[in-house]
Order: sequence, then structure tokens, then C-alpha cells
Amino acid sequence: MAALFTADIENRGLVLDPRTKLFVMITLVIFALGGTGSDISAVRYGTIAVSILPVLLLMTARQYKKATVFGILYALIKSAEIFLVPNITGAELSIIGLCCLIFVRLMPGLIMGAYMLSSTTVSEFIAAMHRMHIPQQITIPMSVMFRFFPTVLEEFTAINTAMKMRDIRIGGKNAGKLVEYRLVPLMVCSVNIGSELSAAALTRGLGTKVRRTNICKIGFHIQDIAVLLLILTLYIFWILGMFGVMK
Amino acid sequence: MNDATILKNILFRYANGDTGVLNDLYLTVKQGECILLCGGSGCGKTTVTRLLNGLIPHYYEGKLDGEVSVLGKSICDTAIEDLAGIVGSVFQNPRSQFFCVDTTAEIAFGCENMGLSETEIQRRIDNTVTDMQIQKLLGRSIFNLSGGEKQKIACAGVAAMLPELIVLDEPTSNLDLDAIDELREIIQKWKTHGKTIVIAEHRLGWLSGLCDRVIFMESGSISAEFTGEDFFSLQTDKLNSMGLRAIHTANNYLESRTGLTEIKPFNSSAVITLENFVYSYGKQDAVNIPKLEIPKGAVIAVVGHNGAGKSTFTKCLCGLQKRFKGTVSVDGKIYRSKDMMRLSYMVMQDVNHQLFAETVLEEVMIGADDSEQQTALDILEKLHIAEYKDRHPMSLSGGQKQRVAIASALMAGKKLLVFDEPTSGLDFSSMECTAELLRSLDKDITVLIVTHDMELIDRCCTHILHIEEGKI
Repeated sequence: MAALFTADIENRGLVLDPRTKLFVMITLVIFALGGTGSDISAVRYGTIAVSILPVLLLMTARQYKKATVFGILYALIKSAEIFLVPNITGAELSIIGLCCLIFVRLMPGLIMGAYMLSSTTVSEFIAAMHRMHIPQQITIPMSVMFRFFPTVLEEFTAINTAMKMRDIRIGGKNAGKLVEYRLVPLMVCSVNIGSELSAAALTRGLGTKVRRTNICKIGFHIQDIAVLLLILTLYIFWILGMFGVMK
Repeated sequence: MNDATILKNILFRYANGDTGVLNDLYLTVKQGECILLCGGSGCGKTTVTRLLNGLIPHYYEGKLDGEVSVLGKSICDTAIEDLAGIVGSVFQNPRSQFFCVDTTAEIAFGCENMGLSETEIQRRIDNTVTDMQIQKLLGRSIFNLSGGEKQKIACAGVAAMLPELIVLDEPTSNLDLDAIDELREIIQKWKTHGKTIVIAEHRLGWLSGLCDRVIFMESGSISAEFTGEDFFSLQTDKLNSMGLRAIHTANNYLESRTGLTEIKPFNSSAVITLENFVYSYGKQDAVNIPKLEIPKGAVIAVVGHNGAGKSTFTKCLCGLQKRFKGTVSVDGKIYRSKDMMRLSYMVMQDVNHQLFAETVLEEVMIGADDSEQQTALDILEKLHIAEYKDRHPMSLSGGQKQRVAIASALMAGKKLLVFDEPTSGLDFSSMECTAELLRSLDKDITVLIVTHDMELIDRCCTHILHIEEGKI
């Protein structure tokens, strides 16, 4: 199931601290998406290195198929940007150039997002938020939301199946009401489950004034340090570049 | 011994209901006692459990008179979060009582909320896990567990909080008989630990010898009280006349397990032949049935353990499983996977998923021409739901919704009806109604019922199909 925060904890390879992942994400947004420091050649190469990082991380999480697809796609677009774009002109330039520009900037962030969501569990996520001193009023609703999505997805599949059996589909007699027929049962089921879920949460003491503990063990390990060092190098290049030490 | 809970002269009415759910209820539960609440649907069992765990009046709104105290605390004056440590609750639906995706975190969840130290939580988890012998369930993903395993985790999560009082609201309605046996052992253990246990339940058989006292409720008040011994020696017809399910069903299952699994040869002119029913998830064969003949017009129970391949089998039969190669032939006509969808219809366990329209009549008319309205009305009449034809399907009761779903299947001319657990969580009279309904369907409609409910099978099924490890 392609749901949020449903990491398969039985088989997921290398584990990174959620905060490391968040930091990689922010860095990607600053350098790959924002294009910060792209006038410094060292930062340019560094950005490429960091952009490939999410693909490698997907590999470590044993998601080889996803990693290969994303990796090849990124390599194709990046090489198109480097080798093809300088040699074309006119309409081709504006179309291909624009596509390359958008994808090269967006893709690393997207891949990282896919990795984050598929490799973190809800409890790890909450623990990390807790360590970063984000208040419970924000983390608790978020944790319930993450729990809620896969369930809604399950409901949605069941409703789809039911619709198939009734022969309600695009092109059928009731095509116009397709959305309504799908949303009404979905809403009824979601409301029911939501209210049962909160009732269950209350009976297990969610929301007490006591400070909540978390047994989920997160922390920085050697792999986190390696990733962080790589990223820090990029920042150092950038700062050095700004002072004109590097080009 | 002290009284663990006292409910005095309780009158309760839900905010959106017209009539009282509880009328002048008086109940005391002693510490360490195990109590069974039983009675027909709507008698107020669930409401009592909600009073005990504080969901009433703190979560479900309504008008409450009288005095409720649990372990010396008045429910009305205690915040529901503070009750969490002393009252534990296990609910009916395993889908909606989990927060975490992995089992260890789920067991820890309640303790984390209580703000216990990490070492203390770890110690409690270890204790609970060894106590309940669920070591192999630790560190698994909730989504990969069976219904019975989920219910065990739910119990473990409650037990780890070390509550004094444990409330279970129909904990077995989605479980097969083996899982129920295991749940029984868990409750037995809690009993020896001196915990007070209150169970509201329709299925009674598994509780025999476990409960000290049985409270029989009718329309919101207690109409009879038995000691455990007296109650479980009552005869089945006496129970049925009280609107209760039978106690002695476990034996029936054993019979069906051994005796009725062989398939008798049928009159070949009126059979539905299933051929090449093979389906697998990855490497594992989920269903493997080379050939099977079903008599037309029969009511067939499909039984087997959780995860035996029953639901995959029925999905294949309804043409819902992609990449499935088998065929079904009726009257010499062969239906392939895609055409099967036109032939058969599944009434799902959660009927809410398959009611789409604004009124019952419109629901039945989906996919039909306007000229067929009279046929639709006739079908509704036959299923005794004609009077609701202008109501919204979602506003009906569970049994009525089920009928609407059946009506729309009949309207679409389906020849093969598949029911997935049609009686889970139903009391005796509703179960009787469903059985009646299944018997009364036309002769050219074949019905398959996936169920764990032996009483239902007893009442209406003509054949039993036993599936184990994907085979018959």
C-alpha cells in the first residue's frame, strides 16, 4: 500500500534519524529547488552529489525498483540539461529547457519526500518532533491524521470494488453521479471510523496533562553523521564561495 | 469485597435519540468479578460499557441522570483521560482502535500517554508480552495482522496500562473460533490477576465457565440476573426465546469440520461449475481449486479459519481479482473473470461501502431503466423494505441496509450472491431474520455465505464448503 508513514519495520535496511532526513530535505530545497549559490562551481557539483543522495537512500531502504526508476529518470534529465540545452535554440529551447529546469529542480526533493514517507514510522516521526520541541497540540493531531489516511484508502478501495460490481463506471448510465456515489459512502465511513478512533484514543489516555513519554529510540548514528558531513560540506563550499575563496 | 463500580438509577438518552436508552438501571460490580452483559440489539449493553469507560458523558453526548462511580471515582467529575489508567477498553472493530503502525508502539501507546518512564514502559511491555505469549507479534506492521492477532494486540495495549477494570464491547464479532479460544485464555488470565471484567457480547458460547454473573438486559434495564453456572446450563430454546444466541455452538463446528466436508455428487443438470480456481499472491497459493460443482439455488456456507483463502475465493468468484484465469459455467454458458462481475454480487461485511444513492428506491434503480420502477417496488415489497423507499439508505439500521443491498443485486439480475459475514454483531432475532431472508430467495439464485456463525449455517444452509490453506 502506498500510504504515508507506513514503513515496513520488519525489513527496511539502514535506519536514519528522522531529523537527518528532514535536514537533507531542507538542504535540497535550498540548493536544488532554490538554486542557491549556483554561480559557484563547487556548489554546483556539490548540489548534484546531494541530489543523487535520495536515490542512494532509497537503495539502502531496499526499495530498488523505485530507486532505479528515479535514478535513471534524474540522470536522463540532468544530462539533457547539461548536454542538450546549450545546443538548441528557438521553440525547442523554450520547451525542453523549461521541462529540464522544472524537473531537475523538483525531482531531488520529490525523491527525498518519497524516501522520507516510506522509511519513517509514525512513532519515530512523533519522537523526532518531540525532540525538536514542537508542542503536542501540533504533533497529536498529525499523528492521528497519519493513522487515518491508510484507513481512508482502504475504505476507498472497498467502495471502488462495490461500484464495479454494480457496474457504475465512466461511460455507464450514471457517469454524471460518479463523484457523488463515491464520496457519500466514503464520508459516512470516514466519519464513523474517525469517531470510533477518537473514542478509542480517549479511553487510552491520549490528551492527558501528563507529559507524554516516547519509547521509540531515535538518535544520531554513524550513518547520520556521514550524511550530515556530506551536506555540511556543501554549506561550507557555499559560504567559502560567497567570500570569494572558492569559485 | 469492595464494589468496583456502582451504577445507581441510571437514566440515559443520547443527544439525538427520542427515547431513553437506559431506564432506571441499577448495577453493582464487585472487585474481581467477571460480568457478562447480554440481550438483544439496542438493549443498552454498549451504553453501559460506555458509561464505565467514561465515553458517556464525556464523548457521546446525551442526558444522564443518576450516579455512576468506578473504583470510587464519580464518572461525571473525572476527566476521561484520567480514567484511562484504571479502566481499559477493548472494542469491537479492530480497524478503528489502533494508532500506531507497528505493534510494539501500539502496546506502548497507552503507557506513553500516562507519562511513565521509558524503562517502566519497557518492563510492562515485556511482562505483558510474556504473559500473553505474543512474542512473535512484536515489531510487526498492524496492516499485516489477522483479525485475531489485532484483537490480541488491542488486549495487550490495554493490559500494559494495568487497569483495575477492563471493559470489552463485542470483542469477538470478527474472530474465528480459534482466535476466540485464545481471547478466552487471555481473559482467564486477567481473572486470576484479580481484575474486574465486564463483557458485552452476542456470542455466548465461548464465555461459558468464565463469567461469575450474567446480566440479561431488555430495553435499557436489567430484566434478569443469573449466576454463571445457572446461565450456562440453560437450554438453547430458552435462550432463543429470550432473544439470545445459543451457548452450545462449538460442538456444531467440530461436526462440520469432520463430517460435511466431502462434496456429494449433484444432479448435473442444475450445477454451477467452477473450474481452474487458482490464484496466488506472489509465490504463495492463496486459492487452489481445480474444479468445483455447486448446485444451483443452494445456500452454501463457506467456512474455514481466518486467512484460509475464503475471501480470495469469493473475490475470484465475483470477478474482482485481476489476473485470475478461472471460469464459471452456468447452464452450459461459460463466464470468464470479467463476465463474472455481471453474474455475481457480493454483500460486504460493511454494507455502508455499497450504498450510493439518495433514496432507497434510487439505489435499487441504479443501472435500470425508469420503466422498470414497478419491478423495483415489487422487490422492495418482497424484502419488506418498501415503506422506506424514500429514506436515505444511510439512515436505515444495519439489517435494513443489508436488505437494500440485496434488493439492488436482485434488480440487476445477479444469479450468484456472496455474503461476507452477514451476521457479525447481530443478535438472535436479527440473525433469524437474515436466515429467513436467505431461505426465501428465489430458486434460481445461488447464495454463498462466508461466515463463522454456526447458528446461521444451522438455520439456512444446504451445503458447507470448507476451505483450508486455499484448498477444499
